Amino acid sequence: MEKRLLKKDRLAGIIKNVSRDMLVYAPVKEEDNVLFMALKEGREPLLSFSNSRNAPKTFFFPRTETMMKYTRTSRGMEFLRGGGEAEEAVLFGVRPCDTRSFVLLDMLFDQEKYKDSYYISRREKTTVISMSCVHPPYTTCFCTSVNGGPTSSEGADILLTDMDDNYLVEFITPKGEKILQYFGDLPKAGAADETLKKEISQKAEKEITSHIPAKEVKPILDNNFEHPFWETIHQRCLACGTCTYLCPTCHCFDISDEAKGNDGIRIRNWDSCMYPLFTLETSGHNPRPTQKERWRQRVMHKFKYYVDNFGVIACVGCGRCVMYCPVNLDIRKIVEDISKL
Amino acid sequence: MLNPYIPMPVEVVKIVTEVDTKDIKTFRLAFINSEDEANFQYLPGQFAELSVFGQGESPIGIASSPTQPGYLEFTVQKAGVVTSTLHDLEVGTCIGVRGPLGNSWPIDYLEGKNIVIVGGGFAFTTLRSLVNYMTHEDNRFRFRDIIVVYGARTPGLLIYKDELSAWEARDDINLHVTVDKGDENWKGREGFVPTVCKEVAPSSENAVTVICGPPIMIRFTLPVFFDLGFSKENIITSLEMRMKCGIGKCGRCNVGNKYVCKDGPVFSLAELDKLTKEY
Repeated sequence: MEKRLLKKDRLAGIIKNVSRDMLVYAPVKEEDNVLFMALKEGREPLLSFSNSRNAPKTFFFPRTETMMKYTRTSRGMEFLRGGGEAEEAVLFGVRPCDTRSFVLLDMLFDQEKYKDSYYISRREKTTVISMSCVHPPYTTCFCTSVNGGPTSSEGADILLTDMDDNYLVEFITPKGEKILQYFGDLPKAGAADETLKKEISQKAEKEITSHIPAKEVKPILDNNFEHPFWETIHQRCLACGTCTYLCPTCHCFDISDEAKGNDGIRIRNWDSCMYPLFTLETSGHNPRPTQKERWRQRVMHKFKYYVDNFGVIACVGCGRCVMYCPVNLDIRKIVEDISKL
Repeated sequence: MLNPYIPMPVEVVKIVTEVDTKDIKTFRLAFINSEDEANFQYLPGQFAELSVFGQGESPIGIASSPTQPGYLEFTVQKAGVVTSTLHDLEVGTCIGVRGPLGNSWPIDYLEGKNIVIVGGGFAFTTLRSLVNYMTHEDNRFRFRDIIVVYGARTPGLLIYKDELSAWEARDDINLHVTVDKGDENWKGREGFVPTVCKEVAPSSENAVTVICGPPIMIRFTLPVFFDLGFSKENIITSLEMRMKCGIGKCGRCNVGNKYVCKDGPVFSLAELDKLTKEY
C-alpha cells in the first residue's frame, strides 16, 4: 500500500483537477447543510466539515432510479434496462462511518446468487476517498461501539488523515492507486508518520464519548422477540421514516411502474419499515400491524438479523437518526435498555 | 452481469376461468424467446413475478410442472391492481415473467417416501404443480404412495376440475376431493379438509405431508397430522408475504432473519418453529 504525505493547501486543487476528468462528488455547503454534490466550476469542496446531512449511500443506491424501460411492440413487449451505464466517478470526503456502510451494503446487494447490477456497477465505477475524523464531530458519534473507528479505512480506496501540516494519504486499493497520478510527486510517508497516525487515531477514539453495548444485545434479541419492552418505545414515533432515510445502511425499497402510451418505466424508490403500507398485503392482512412491530423490525434487522445473515451489525454509529428524529427517539438509549432486559 | 430485475416477455396463450365466481383464472404463458425458456429451469413450489404493462409486478406461484414443456401456468385470484389487470387480459397479450424465484418443495427429500398432499381452496396451485411433477412417467417411480386431499368451500370453487377427474381415473394416486357444502349436483364427499384427513388417516411411516391452504384450514389440519405421528420435519408448507424484489434485497418479506422470497417460500414446520411468528 502506498502511503504519501500531502501539503494541506494542495488538496482542494487536486480534487478540482480530478473533477476535470471525471465526475467528483464532494461535500459542499448548501444553505445550512453540508451535502454531497457534483463538483462543478465554481463549487468548492469542503475540506473542514463535520459530516453531511444525508448519507452518501445515495450515490450507489439512489433515492429514486429507473430500473427498466419497456415498450409495447408488434411482438408484444420489450424490456430494456433503464438509467444507462454507471459513469466513472470519485466520491470525495466520505467519513469513515459512511465509508464502512458501503461494505455493509455490499454484503446485501452483491451476494453470490442475486447481484443487484444497478448498485454493483456504480460501486465498481466509483473511487471512494475517505477522510478520517481526527476530531469526531458530534457527541452522538458512536462508531467505535459498532466495530468502526474514526480513522478506519474499511471500505475506502484512499484514506486522508489530517496530520497538522500534512495529510497522510493512504492508497488502500488498486482503484485508489489509479488516482495517485493526480497527486503528483509526493514524498513517501515514513515510520515517524505512521507513529503519528497511530497517536492521532488513539486520540480520536478517545474523543468519542458515546458508547453503547451494541455487540451485547444480539443474544438478548435472540430470545426476546416477545417482550413487554417492545410496548415502550414506539408510542412517540410519528412513523415519519426520517431515521431510515438518513441511515447509511437502510436498504429497503419499493418498486413501482408508470406508463404513458406505449412506453412504461419501472422505478425503485427508497421505502421504510416504519410505514404501515410497507408490509400491508392485498388481502388486508398486515404482519406488522402497529408501530410496535415496525420498531421491533428496525431494531432486530440492524442488531440481530443482519448479524445472523452477514455477521455484522447493520449500524455504523453515525448518529444521524439520533440527531434528526423529530421526537428524540434515541437508538443508543434503546440498545442500552435492551442490554439490561 | 445478469440483471435479476428484468422480466422475460411471454405471450398469454390460454386463459381458463377456474371457478363459478369467475375471480380465479389460470393463465398459460408461452416464452417469446426460446433462450428465455431454456434459462427458466424451475421446480414445483417456486414462484415468479408477473409484470403487467403500466401496473407493476405480482409474485405468483407456478402452477404448471416442469414436466410440461413449452409454457408456464399461473392461477391468479383477482385481488389488487396487477391481478385485476391480468384478469382483463385477452389471449395474445404480451406480459413479463421474472423468475423462477424462491426455493421449491423439497423434491429430493420427498423421494422414496409416501407423500400426503393437503390443499385448500385456491392455495392448491403449487401443489398441483407437485402432483403433476410426481405423477409424470419420468418421476412416478421416485415416489411411493401419493395421497391427495383437496377441498374447497363449494363444488364451484374447486379449481383444475378436468385434472381432478384425470387423477381420479389413475390407480397410482389416492385422491380425496371434498367440499364444505355440496349442491344438488354434487355426488362427492362433503366435509372440511381436517375432518377428511382424519378419516383418510394416512400413515406417518416413511411419509411427508405437504400442506397449503388458508390459515384456518392449516390451523385445524396440523393437529390431525400430529396425532397421526407426523414429525414437524415431515410437515411442509409454503408462506406468503408482501414482496417486491423477490431476491432478498428490498427488505419487506422477512420472517425473523429469513426472507420468504429467497429462503422460502417453502418451510418445514420444524424450520418455522425456529422463526418468529410474524406472518
